[in-house]
Amino acid sequence: MLDLFHAEPTGDSARVLIVLEEKGLEFRGHYVDVLALEQYRPPLVELAPGGDLPVLVRDGVASAGASAVCELLEEAYPERPLMPAGARERWCMRVWQKHVDDIFASAVSQLAWQAYGERSLPRPARAELEGALARIVPSEERPRWQTALAGYAEEQLARAQARVEETVARIEAALAEAEWLAGPMFSLADVAVFAYFNYLPALGGARLSESEAPRALAWLRAVSERPAVRSALARGRSRDPFRTATPAPEQIRWG
Amino acid sequence: MSVELYFFQPLGTNSGRVFLALLEKGVPILERELDGLTFEHLRPEYLAINPRGQVPTLVHDGRPLTEGAPICEYIDEAFRGPPLRPADLDERCNMRRWCRYLDVDLGRAVMMIHWNRIVPAFVGARSPAEVQHLIARVPDPDRQRAWRRAYLQETAPEELTESRRRIDAGSERIEKALARTAWLAGRSFSLADIDLLSFYAFLAKWTPEIVNERSTPRTMEWIERMEERPAVRELRARSRMPQRPPMLERMAATARG
Repeated sequence: MLDLFHAEPTGDSARVLIVLEEKGLEFRGHYVDVLALEQYRPPLVELAPGGDLPVLVRDGVASAGASAVCELLEEAYPERPLMPAGARERWCMRVWQKHVDDIFASAVSQLAWQAYGERSLPRPARAELEGALARIVPSEERPRWQTALAGYAEEQLARAQARVEETVARIEAALAEAEWLAGPMFSLADVAVFAYFNYLPALGGARLSESEAPRALAWLRAVSERPAVRSALARGRSRDPFRTATPAPEQIRWG
Repeated sequence: MSVELYFFQPLGTNSGRVFLALLEKGVPILERELDGLTFEHLRPEYLAINPRGQVPTLVHDGRPLTEGAPICEYIDEAFRGPPLRPADLDERCNMRRWCRYLDVDLGRAVMMIHWNRIVPAFVGARSPAEVQHLIARVPDPDRQRAWRRAYLQETAPEELTESRRRIDAGSERIEKALARTAWLAGRSFSLADIDLLSFYAFLAKWTPEIVNERSTPRTMEWIERMEERPAVRELRARSRMPQRPPMLERMAATARG
Protein backbone atom coordinates (compact mmCIF):
# COMPACT_ATOMS: atom_id res chain seq x y z
CA MET A 1 0.00 0.00 0.00
CA LEU A 2 1.23 3.51 -0.86
CA ASP A 3 0.41 6.67 1.07
CA LEU A 4 1.68 10.08 0.10
CA PHE A 5 1.63 13.07 2.41
CA HIS A 6 1.94 16.09 0.18
CA ALA A 7 1.44 19.84 0.01
CA GLU A 8 -0.01 21.82 -2.91
CA PRO A 9 1.10 20.18 -6.20
CA THR A 10 4.07 22.45 -6.81
CA GLY A 11 7.78 21.82 -6.24
CA ASP A 12 8.81 18.59 -4.52
CA SER A 13 5.21 17.52 -3.83
CA ALA A 14 4.45 17.84 -7.55
CA ARG A 15 7.52 15.73 -8.40
CA VAL A 16 6.35 12.68 -6.46
CA LEU A 17 2.66 13.12 -7.42
CA ILE A 18 3.63 13.22 -11.10
CA VAL A 19 5.74 10.06 -10.79
CA LEU A 20 2.88 8.19 -9.06
CA GLU A 21 0.45 9.30 -11.77
CA GLU A 22 2.83 8.58 -14.66
CA LYS A 23 3.26 5.06 -13.36
CA GLY A 24 -0.46 4.65 -12.84
CA LEU A 25 0.07 3.57 -9.23
CA GLU A 26 -2.76 3.45 -6.74
CA PHE A 27 -2.07 5.52 -3.66
CA ARG A 28 -3.83 7.38 -0.88
CA GLY A 29 -3.03 11.09 -0.97
CA HIS A 30 -3.03 13.07 2.29
CA TYR A 31 -3.04 16.82 1.92
CA VAL A 32 -0.76 18.69 4.34
CA ASP A 33 -1.34 22.39 4.94
CA VAL A 34 2.19 23.79 5.16
CA LEU A 35 1.20 27.30 6.26
CA ALA A 36 -0.81 25.74 9.11
CA LEU A 37 2.47 23.96 10.05
CA GLU A 38 0.81 20.53 9.82
CA GLN A 39 4.15 19.03 8.72
CA TYR A 40 5.53 19.62 12.23
CA ARG A 41 2.60 18.00 14.02
CA PRO A 42 1.48 14.39 14.41
CA PRO A 43 1.26 12.18 12.43
CA LEU A 44 3.81 13.81 10.09
CA VAL A 45 6.35 14.71 12.74
CA GLU A 46 6.73 11.02 13.59
CA LEU A 47 7.28 10.10 9.94
CA ALA A 48 9.71 12.91 9.03
CA PRO A 49 10.93 14.86 12.06
CA GLY A 50 12.48 17.67 10.00
CA GLY A 51 9.17 18.72 8.44
CA ASP A 52 10.18 17.39 5.02
CA LEU A 53 7.50 17.06 2.37
CA PRO A 54 6.37 15.03 0.57
CA VAL A 55 6.62 11.84 2.62
CA LEU A 56 5.96 8.48 0.99
CA VAL A 57 4.87 5.57 3.17
CA ARG A 58 5.38 2.26 1.38
CA ASP A 59 4.53 -0.93 3.26
CA GLY A 60 4.97 0.89 6.54
CA VAL A 61 8.34 2.47 5.71
CA ALA A 62 8.41 6.28 5.48
CA SER A 63 10.77 7.99 3.02
CA ALA A 64 11.38 11.66 2.28
CA GLY A 65 13.59 13.65 -0.09
CA ALA A 66 12.06 14.06 -3.55
CA SER A 67 14.98 12.70 -5.61
CA ALA A 68 15.46 9.64 -3.39
CA VAL A 69 11.70 8.95 -3.31
CA CYS A 70 11.31 9.32 -7.09
CA GLU A 71 14.17 6.86 -7.65
CA LEU A 72 12.69 4.50 -5.07
CA LEU A 73 9.36 4.50 -6.95
CA GLU A 74 11.23 3.90 -10.22
CA GLU A 75 13.15 0.95 -8.79
CA ALA A 76 10.15 -0.58 -7.00
CA TYR A 77 7.75 -0.13 -9.93
CA PRO A 78 9.88 -0.28 -13.08
CA GLU A 79 6.91 -0.58 -15.46
CA ARG A 80 6.36 2.63 -17.46
CA PRO A 81 9.99 3.63 -16.90
CA LEU A 82 10.97 7.19 -16.06
CA MET A 83 14.67 6.41 -15.96
CA PRO A 84 16.80 5.85 -19.08
CA ALA A 85 18.48 2.46 -19.45
CA GLY A 86 22.05 3.63 -20.13
CA ALA A 87 24.46 4.57 -17.33
CA ARG A 88 25.49 7.83 -19.02
CA GLU A 89 21.88 8.95 -19.56
CA ARG A 90 21.13 8.09 -15.94
CA TRP A 91 24.12 10.15 -14.86
CA CYS A 92 22.73 13.05 -16.89
CA MET A 93 19.30 12.58 -15.28
CA ARG A 94 20.86 12.62 -11.80
CA VAL A 95 22.86 15.76 -12.55
CA TRP A 96 19.56 17.51 -13.39
CA GLN A 97 17.92 16.23 -10.21
CA LYS A 98 20.91 17.45 -8.22
CA HIS A 99 20.77 20.85 -9.87
CA VAL A 100 17.11 21.13 -8.86
CA ASP A 101 17.82 19.97 -5.28
CA ASP A 102 20.93 22.13 -4.83
CA ILE A 103 20.02 25.32 -6.64
CA PHE A 104 16.86 25.59 -8.74
CA ALA A 105 14.31 24.60 -6.05
CA SER A 106 15.54 27.16 -3.60
CA ALA A 107 15.95 29.94 -6.21
CA VAL A 108 12.45 29.51 -7.68
CA SER A 109 10.85 29.12 -4.25
CA GLN A 110 12.41 32.36 -3.02
CA LEU A 111 11.05 34.27 -6.01
CA ALA A 112 7.64 32.60 -5.68
CA TRP A 113 7.41 33.37 -1.97
CA GLN A 114 8.33 36.97 -2.60
CA ALA A 115 5.67 37.25 -5.32
CA TYR A 116 2.86 35.30 -3.65
CA GLY A 117 3.71 34.03 -0.21
CA GLU A 118 3.38 37.28 1.63
CA ARG A 119 0.19 38.16 -0.22
CA SER A 120 -1.35 34.73 0.26
CA LEU A 121 -1.04 35.14 4.00
CA PRO A 122 -3.80 37.24 5.57
CA ARG A 123 -2.66 39.45 8.43
CA PRO A 124 -4.26 37.48 11.32
CA ALA A 125 -2.84 34.26 9.88
CA ARG A 126 0.56 35.87 9.75
CA ALA A 127 0.45 36.94 13.39
CA GLU A 128 -0.73 33.47 14.36
CA LEU A 129 2.04 31.87 12.34
CA GLU A 130 4.68 34.02 13.97
CA GLY A 131 3.36 33.05 17.36
CA ALA A 132 3.28 29.37 16.46
CA LEU A 133 6.88 29.27 15.20
CA ALA A 134 8.44 29.09 18.64
CA ARG A 135 5.90 26.55 19.89
CA ILE A 136 5.69 24.16 16.96
CA VAL A 137 8.60 24.51 14.55
CA PRO A 138 11.82 22.69 15.60
CA SER A 139 14.52 25.22 16.48
CA GLU A 140 16.76 24.31 13.56
CA GLU A 141 13.90 24.95 11.11
CA ARG A 142 12.92 28.31 12.60
CA PRO A 143 15.50 30.54 10.88
CA ARG A 144 14.21 29.42 7.46
CA TRP A 145 10.69 30.57 8.42
CA GLN A 146 11.83 33.77 10.05
CA THR A 147 13.88 34.74 7.00
CA ALA A 148 10.92 34.14 4.71
CA LEU A 149 8.47 36.04 6.94
CA ALA A 150 10.89 38.99 7.09
CA GLY A 151 11.12 38.92 3.27
CA TYR A 152 14.24 37.84 1.37
CA ALA A 153 16.96 40.48 0.97
CA GLU A 154 17.35 42.23 -2.39
CA GLU A 155 20.81 40.74 -2.89
CA GLN A 156 19.41 37.27 -2.18
CA LEU A 157 16.61 37.69 -4.73
CA ALA A 158 19.04 38.97 -7.35
CA ARG A 159 21.13 35.82 -6.84
CA ALA A 160 18.01 33.67 -7.15
CA GLN A 161 17.01 35.46 -10.35
CA ALA A 162 20.50 34.93 -11.82
CA ARG A 163 20.33 31.22 -10.93
CA VAL A 164 16.94 30.91 -12.61
CA GLU A 165 18.21 32.59 -15.77
CA GLU A 166 21.27 30.38 -15.84
CA THR A 167 19.03 27.31 -15.50
CA VAL A 168 16.72 28.42 -18.31
CA ALA A 169 19.78 28.81 -20.56
CA ARG A 170 20.94 25.35 -19.57
CA ILE A 171 17.51 23.85 -20.35
CA GLU A 172 17.48 25.62 -23.70
CA ALA A 173 20.92 24.17 -24.52
CA ALA A 174 19.94 20.64 -23.44
CA LEU A 175 16.78 20.70 -25.55
CA ALA A 176 18.81 21.65 -28.60
CA GLU A 177 20.51 18.26 -28.24
CA ALA A 178 17.56 15.97 -27.41
CA GLU A 179 13.79 15.94 -27.07
CA TRP A 180 13.88 15.64 -23.27
CA LEU A 181 16.39 16.90 -20.71
CA ALA A 182 18.27 13.62 -20.21
CA GLY A 183 17.92 12.28 -23.76
CA PRO A 184 15.26 10.75 -25.98
CA MET A 185 12.88 9.73 -23.17
CA PHE A 186 10.78 11.67 -20.66
CA SER A 187 12.51 11.04 -17.32
CA LEU A 188 12.77 12.04 -13.67
CA ALA A 189 14.95 14.93 -14.88
CA ASP A 190 12.00 16.46 -16.72
CA VAL A 191 9.74 15.84 -13.72
CA ALA A 192 12.15 17.55 -11.31
CA VAL A 193 12.80 20.62 -13.44
CA PHE A 194 9.15 20.98 -14.53
CA ALA A 195 7.86 21.00 -10.94
CA TYR A 196 9.70 24.29 -10.35
CA PHE A 197 9.92 25.65 -13.88
CA ASN A 198 6.12 25.62 -14.02
CA TYR A 199 6.15 28.60 -11.66
CA LEU A 200 8.22 30.79 -13.93
CA PRO A 201 5.74 32.06 -16.55
CA ALA A 202 3.44 33.30 -13.76
CA LEU A 203 6.35 34.98 -11.97
CA GLY A 204 7.31 37.01 -15.02
CA GLY A 205 10.91 38.11 -15.08
CA ALA A 206 13.41 38.19 -17.87
CA ARG A 207 14.56 35.57 -20.35
CA LEU A 208 11.43 33.53 -20.72
CA SER A 209 10.17 34.91 -24.01
CA GLU A 210 9.44 32.89 -27.15
CA SER A 211 12.47 34.48 -28.76
CA GLU A 212 14.93 33.75 -25.95
CA ALA A 213 13.70 30.37 -24.71
CA PRO A 214 11.61 28.81 -27.49
CA ARG A 215 12.60 25.22 -26.75
CA ALA A 216 12.13 25.54 -23.00
CA LEU A 217 8.63 26.97 -23.48
CA ALA A 218 7.64 24.27 -25.97
CA TRP A 219 8.96 21.65 -23.52
CA LEU A 220 6.97 23.26 -20.70
CA ARG A 221 3.76 23.01 -22.77
CA ALA A 222 4.51 19.40 -23.73
CA VAL A 223 5.02 18.38 -20.10
CA SER A 224 1.92 20.31 -18.91
CA GLU A 225 -0.25 18.50 -21.43
CA ARG A 226 0.68 15.01 -20.27
CA PRO A 227 -2.44 13.41 -18.73
CA ALA A 228 -0.51 12.24 -15.66
CA VAL A 229 0.82 15.74 -15.05
CA ARG A 230 -2.68 17.18 -15.33
CA SER A 231 -4.05 14.66 -12.81
CA ALA A 232 -1.18 15.39 -10.42
CA LEU A 233 -1.68 19.14 -10.60
CA ALA A 234 -5.43 18.73 -10.05
CA ARG A 235 -4.77 17.41 -6.55
CA GLY A 236 -4.35 20.82 -4.98
CA ARG A 237 -6.87 22.52 -2.73
CA SER A 238 -6.24 26.02 -3.87
CA ARG A 239 -7.71 27.14 -7.18
CA ASP A 240 -4.30 28.58 -7.99
CA PRO A 241 -1.68 26.48 -6.22
CA PHE A 242 1.01 29.01 -7.11
CA ARG A 243 -0.62 31.50 -4.78
CA THR A 244 0.00 29.31 -1.79
CA ALA A 245 3.77 29.61 -2.00
CA THR A 246 5.67 28.45 1.08
CA PRO A 247 9.10 29.43 2.47
CA ALA A 248 11.96 28.26 0.27
CA PRO A 249 14.00 25.17 1.17
CA GLU A 250 17.37 26.01 2.65
CA GLN A 251 20.03 27.10 0.22
CA ILE A 252 23.35 25.32 0.41
CA ARG A 253 25.17 27.30 3.12
CA TRP A 254 28.68 27.11 1.73
CA GLY A 255 29.60 27.16 -2.04
CA MET B 1 38.93 -0.80 -19.26
CA SER B 2 40.45 2.20 -17.54
CA VAL B 3 39.22 5.69 -16.82
CA GLU B 4 40.94 9.04 -16.43
CA LEU B 5 40.33 10.86 -13.19
CA TYR B 6 41.07 14.55 -12.63
CA PHE B 7 41.39 15.20 -8.92
CA PHE B 8 43.10 17.08 -6.09
CA GLN B 9 45.54 15.72 -3.53
CA PRO B 10 45.14 14.85 -0.73
CA LEU B 11 42.40 12.40 -1.61
CA GLY B 12 39.51 13.67 0.51
CA THR B 13 35.93 14.96 0.01
CA ASN B 14 34.73 14.89 -3.60
CA SER B 15 38.02 13.68 -5.12
CA GLY B 16 38.29 11.03 -2.41
CA ARG B 17 34.77 9.66 -2.73
CA VAL B 18 35.09 9.07 -6.48
CA PHE B 19 38.64 7.68 -6.20
CA LEU B 20 37.48 5.27 -3.50
CA ALA B 21 34.40 4.20 -5.46
CA LEU B 22 36.68 3.31 -8.40
CA LEU B 23 39.08 1.40 -6.13
CA GLU B 24 36.23 -0.51 -4.46
CA LYS B 25 34.95 -1.43 -7.88
CA GLY B 26 38.42 -2.45 -9.10
CA VAL B 27 38.51 0.00 -12.01
CA PRO B 28 42.08 0.94 -13.10
CA ILE B 29 42.62 4.70 -12.81
CA LEU B 30 44.76 6.89 -15.05
CA GLU B 31 45.61 9.64 -12.57
CA ARG B 32 45.35 13.23 -13.79
CA GLU B 33 46.22 15.19 -10.70
CA LEU B 34 45.50 18.91 -10.69
CA ASP B 35 47.49 21.27 -8.50
CA GLY B 36 45.05 23.30 -6.45
CA LEU B 37 47.86 25.53 -5.17
CA THR B 38 48.53 26.84 -8.67
CA PHE B 39 44.80 26.88 -9.54
CA GLU B 40 45.23 24.37 -12.36
CA HIS B 41 41.50 23.62 -12.15
CA LEU B 42 40.75 27.11 -13.47
CA ARG B 43 42.84 26.74 -16.64
CA PRO B 44 40.94 26.80 -19.95
CA GLU B 45 41.97 23.21 -20.79
CA TYR B 46 40.28 21.95 -17.64
CA LEU B 47 37.27 24.29 -17.87
CA ALA B 48 36.65 22.80 -21.30
CA ILE B 49 35.84 19.45 -19.69
CA ASN B 50 34.43 20.82 -16.41
CA PRO B 51 32.90 24.27 -16.95
CA ARG B 52 32.28 24.82 -13.21
CA GLY B 53 36.00 24.38 -12.52
CA GLN B 54 35.40 21.75 -9.86
CA VAL B 55 37.04 18.43 -9.11
CA PRO B 56 36.72 15.60 -9.77
CA THR B 57 36.01 14.87 -13.42
CA LEU B 58 35.87 11.29 -14.62
CA VAL B 59 36.57 10.66 -18.29
CA HIS B 60 35.15 7.37 -19.55
CA ASP B 61 34.95 6.39 -23.24
CA GLY B 62 36.48 9.76 -24.05
CA ARG B 63 33.62 11.78 -22.54
CA PRO B 64 33.65 13.67 -19.24
CA LEU B 65 31.37 13.14 -16.25
CA THR B 66 31.11 15.73 -13.45
CA GLU B 67 29.42 16.07 -10.02
CA GLY B 68 30.55 13.67 -7.28
CA ALA B 69 27.26 12.01 -6.30
CA PRO B 70 26.05 11.26 -9.86
CA ILE B 71 29.56 10.05 -10.80
CA CYS B 72 29.54 7.56 -7.91
CA GLU B 73 26.21 6.05 -9.03
CA TYR B 74 27.55 5.97 -12.58
CA ILE B 75 30.60 4.00 -11.45
CA ASP B 76 28.36 1.42 -9.81
CA GLU B 77 26.20 1.12 -12.93
CA ALA B 78 28.86 1.21 -15.65
CA PHE B 79 31.45 -1.22 -14.23
CA ARG B 80 31.51 -4.79 -13.03
CA GLY B 81 32.71 -5.50 -9.51
CA PRO B 82 31.11 -5.63 -6.08
CA PRO B 83 27.91 -3.55 -5.81
CA LEU B 84 28.20 -0.17 -4.07
CA ARG B 85 24.44 0.23 -3.57
CA PRO B 86 22.23 -1.97 -1.38
CA ALA B 87 19.96 -4.47 -3.12
CA ASP B 88 17.18 -3.66 -0.64
CA LEU B 89 15.25 -0.71 -2.09
CA ASP B 90 14.48 1.00 1.22
CA GLU B 91 18.15 0.81 2.17
CA ARG B 92 19.05 2.20 -1.21
CA CYS B 93 16.67 5.14 -0.68
CA ASN B 94 18.23 5.63 2.74
CA MET B 95 21.67 5.57 1.14
CA ARG B 96 20.72 8.38 -1.24
CA ARG B 97 19.38 10.47 1.65
CA TRP B 98 22.64 9.99 3.57
CA CYS B 99 24.81 10.77 0.55
CA ARG B 100 22.96 14.01 -0.02
CA TYR B 101 23.05 14.98 3.65
CA LEU B 102 26.79 14.26 3.94
CA ASP B 103 27.61 16.17 0.77
CA VAL B 104 25.45 19.30 0.92
CA ASP B 105 24.59 19.73 4.60
CA LEU B 106 27.05 18.21 7.07
CA GLY B 107 29.93 18.27 4.56
CA ARG B 108 29.42 21.98 3.90
CA ALA B 109 29.35 22.78 7.62
CA VAL B 110 32.75 21.07 7.92
CA MET B 111 33.95 22.83 4.76
CA MET B 112 32.90 26.28 6.01
CA ILE B 113 34.95 25.91 9.18
CA HIS B 114 37.87 24.31 7.36
CA TRP B 115 38.08 26.88 4.56
CA ASN B 116 37.92 29.76 6.98
CA ARG B 117 40.89 28.22 8.73
CA ILE B 118 43.07 27.33 5.73
CA VAL B 119 42.25 29.56 2.73
CA PRO B 120 44.38 32.53 3.87
CA ALA B 121 47.33 30.13 4.27
CA PHE B 122 46.46 28.23 1.11
CA VAL B 123 46.78 31.25 -1.16
CA GLY B 124 50.20 31.79 0.44
CA ALA B 125 52.51 34.58 -0.58
CA ARG B 126 50.34 36.04 -3.36
CA SER B 127 49.39 39.72 -3.19
CA PRO B 128 45.76 40.52 -2.25
CA ALA B 129 45.14 41.84 -5.77
CA GLU B 130 46.41 38.61 -7.29
CA VAL B 131 44.23 36.52 -4.98
CA GLN B 132 41.12 38.58 -5.79
CA HIS B 133 41.92 38.15 -9.47
CA LEU B 134 42.17 34.36 -9.05
CA ILE B 135 38.93 34.22 -7.06
CA ALA B 136 37.12 36.22 -9.74
CA ARG B 137 37.94 33.40 -12.16
CA VAL B 138 36.00 30.77 -10.16
CA PRO B 139 33.05 30.06 -12.51
CA ASP B 140 30.39 29.05 -10.00
CA PRO B 141 29.01 32.17 -8.23
CA ASP B 142 28.33 30.42 -4.90
CA ARG B 143 31.74 28.78 -4.86
CA GLN B 144 33.32 32.13 -5.71
CA ARG B 145 31.49 33.76 -2.82
CA ALA B 146 32.72 31.06 -0.42
CA TRP B 147 36.31 31.61 -1.55
CA ARG B 148 36.02 35.38 -1.08
CA ARG B 149 34.41 35.09 2.34
CA ALA B 150 37.06 32.68 3.56
CA TYR B 151 39.92 34.75 2.12
CA LEU B 152 38.67 38.02 3.59
CA GLN B 153 37.63 36.23 6.81
CA GLU B 154 34.12 37.64 6.35
CA THR B 155 32.09 34.66 7.57
CA ALA B 156 29.93 35.79 10.47
CA PRO B 157 30.79 34.13 13.81
CA GLU B 158 27.12 33.04 14.17
CA GLU B 159 27.43 31.12 10.91
CA LEU B 160 30.52 29.32 12.12
CA THR B 161 28.73 28.53 15.39
CA GLU B 162 25.79 27.16 13.41
CA SER B 163 28.16 24.95 11.42
CA ARG B 164 29.66 23.63 14.64
CA ARG B 165 26.14 22.92 15.96
CA ARG B 166 25.36 20.97 12.79
CA ILE B 167 28.55 18.94 13.15
CA ASP B 168 27.59 18.03 16.72
CA ALA B 169 24.02 17.14 15.69
CA GLY B 170 25.32 15.19 12.69
CA SER B 171 27.78 13.25 14.86
CA GLU B 172 24.92 12.15 17.08
CA ARG B 173 22.80 11.15 14.12
CA ILE B 174 25.64 9.11 12.58
CA GLU B 175 26.41 7.43 15.90
CA LYS B 176 22.74 6.41 16.24
CA ALA B 177 22.62 4.99 12.72
CA LEU B 178 25.80 2.98 13.26
CA ALA B 179 24.40 1.63 16.53
CA ARG B 180 21.45 0.19 14.61
CA THR B 181 23.28 -1.31 11.63
CA ALA B 182 26.85 -2.23 10.69
CA TRP B 183 26.95 0.19 7.76
CA LEU B 184 25.53 3.67 7.49
CA ALA B 185 22.57 2.98 5.19
CA GLY B 186 21.79 -0.50 6.57
CA ARG B 187 23.13 -4.02 6.44
CA SER B 188 25.33 -3.57 3.39
CA PHE B 189 28.37 -1.46 2.65
CA SER B 190 27.40 1.33 0.24
CA LEU B 191 28.20 4.72 -1.25
CA ALA B 192 26.91 6.20 2.01
CA ASP B 193 29.93 4.68 3.80
CA ILE B 194 32.25 5.99 1.09
CA ASP B 195 30.79 9.47 1.62
CA LEU B 196 30.93 9.24 5.40
CA LEU B 197 34.64 8.44 5.12
CA SER B 198 35.21 11.23 2.58
CA PHE B 199 33.24 14.07 4.18
CA TYR B 200 33.36 13.31 7.89
CA ALA B 201 35.63 10.56 9.23
CA PHE B 202 38.77 12.75 9.19
CA LEU B 203 37.25 14.69 12.09
CA ALA B 204 38.50 11.86 14.33
CA LYS B 205 41.98 13.27 13.67
CA TRP B 206 41.13 16.94 13.19
CA THR B 207 38.71 17.46 16.04
CA PRO B 208 39.09 14.48 18.38
CA GLU B 209 36.99 16.40 20.91
CA ILE B 210 33.97 15.61 18.68
CA VAL B 211 34.77 12.17 17.27
CA ASN B 212 36.40 9.90 19.85
CA GLU B 213 36.14 6.54 21.66
CA ARG B 214 34.05 7.95 24.47
CA SER B 215 31.40 10.07 22.73
CA THR B 216 31.19 8.24 19.38
CA PRO B 217 32.37 4.65 19.99
CA ARG B 218 30.34 3.14 17.12
CA THR B 219 31.74 5.65 14.68
CA MET B 220 35.30 4.89 15.85
CA GLU B 221 34.67 1.18 15.40
CA TRP B 222 33.25 1.84 11.93
CA ILE B 223 36.34 3.92 11.02
CA GLU B 224 38.56 1.01 12.07
CA ARG B 225 36.58 -1.39 9.89
CA MET B 226 36.73 1.03 6.96
CA GLU B 227 40.50 1.53 7.28
CA GLU B 228 40.99 -2.24 7.01
CA ARG B 229 39.28 -2.44 3.64
CA PRO B 230 41.82 -3.10 0.87
CA ALA B 231 40.42 -0.25 -1.24
CA VAL B 232 40.74 2.22 1.65
CA ARG B 233 44.34 1.08 2.30
CA GLU B 234 45.06 1.63 -1.36
CA LEU B 235 43.45 5.09 -1.15
CA ARG B 236 45.66 5.96 1.84
CA ALA B 237 48.74 4.71 -0.01
CA ARG B 238 47.93 6.96 -2.96
CA SER B 239 46.95 10.04 -0.90
CA ARG B 240 50.10 12.09 -0.55
CA MET B 241 49.55 14.50 2.30
CA PRO B 242 48.72 13.40 5.82
CA GLN B 243 45.32 14.86 6.67
CA ARG B 244 46.17 16.21 10.08
CA PRO B 245 45.78 19.53 11.79
CA PRO B 246 49.49 19.99 12.66
CA MET B 247 50.19 20.31 8.95
CA LEU B 248 47.44 22.91 8.65
CA GLU B 249 48.76 24.77 11.65
CA ARG B 250 52.24 24.87 10.09
CA MET B 251 50.75 26.18 6.86
CA ALA B 252 48.87 28.86 8.77
CA ALA B 253 52.00 29.80 10.72
CA THR B 254 54.03 30.07 7.50
CA ALA B 255 51.37 32.32 6.01
CA ARG B 256 51.30 34.57 9.07
CA GLY B 257 54.94 34.93 8.46
